[in-house]
Amino acid sequence: MTRKLLMSLTAGLVLAFAAAVLAEEAVSPDAEAARAASMAVDAEDAASRDQFRQLDQDVQSLKKEVLDLNRDLFLLEEELLFPANSQVAFFISMDIGEYFKLDSVSLKIDGKEVANYLYTDREAGSLLRGGVHRVHMANLKAGDHELVAIFTGQGPQSREYRRGATMNFSKGIGAKYVELEITDRVKKQQPEFVIKEWE
Amino acid sequence: MKIRNLLAGVVFSVFAASSLASSGLAGQPAPDFALKSSSGQNMRLSEYRGDVVMINFWATWCGPCRQEMPLLDELYSRYERVGFNLLGVNIDDDSNRAMEMINELGVSFPVLFDATKEVSRLYQVDAMPVTVIVDREGNVRHVHQGYKPGYEQKYLDQVRALLRE
Repeated sequence: MTRKLLMSLTAGLVLAFAAAVLAEEAVSPDAEAARAASMAVDAEDAASRDQFRQLDQDVQSLKKEVLDLNRDLFLLEEELLFPANSQVAFFISMDIGEYFKLDSVSLKIDGKEVANYLYTDREAGSLLRGGVHRVHMANLKAGDHELVAIFTGQGPQSREYRRGATMNFSKGIGAKYVELEITDRVKKQQPEFVIKEWE
Repeated sequence: MKIRNLLAGVVFSVFAASSLASSGLAGQPAPDFALKSSSGQNMRLSEYRGDVVMINFWATWCGPCRQEMPLLDELYSRYERVGFNLLGVNIDDDSNRAMEMINELGVSFPVLFDATKEVSRLYQVDAMPVTVIVDREGNVRHVHQGYKPGYEQKYLDQVRALLRE
């Protein structure tokens, strides 16, 4: 009797186990499918992130290329407009400036007015602090030229002051740089205007 | 029929020309200039980069200018402290007359003298007054030709919008 009971219990257990295995087998395809789907979504996400990163890099490199092109164009334009060999640049500088407050500078080359520059207080202040201002750049053919610079401003005792300085210079091959310097002449208590060429 | 077409064409071309003249500068970088001011100092537009700048071209012989200037002065004194600048550019040949009018109207904004009309040409001024509004980046954003009562509200709205940018 006991044996029969044991046998039926064992058979029941075997059956239950088999049913469980079967049930698991029946569920597993769905779970696998879900896992596969989630993996696919992850992969898609990663791919789109990569794509975005790539796109961002492309945009950055394009921006850089545009900037490079812009710089090259600027340099080319400058070279074309102001070829180094015929280039002449005129600079204004100031030293001390106790006897002169700069208001404007007018430049004439060979009798023709080429620049007329008004200085604001800030700009005049920058010159006093050691700044140099390129007031004009031109292309001149080789040979002799005359430069007339007219400075206006306030002289000693805040009086209206207008002075001219003239220089004859010879333009050879290669670029030329001319500095118009305003300095104080302490002995005379007057400003002095000097034109000099940079070597 | 032909005359009607011709008239329509003329009206359209006048309208197109006027809108082109007013919009030619809008969106472009404001041309830089330096002029002597009523205080005796030289002023350069580029030194106001970072501020909203209104450039008002006017003349003593222009009636609407006389009407507009006190209203502009009000705008200037209200928004000056928050980065707004107003440069009045007078185009008279004789700056003394302009000085007289400034004193008479009691305006406080800087007035610059463009006796040679170089700056007016730069800004394609072909009406009086012309008001140009420049943003903080130095670009022309609005150009108004002439003045009619009510324009000051437009100026106010545009200046406030640019100050907020």
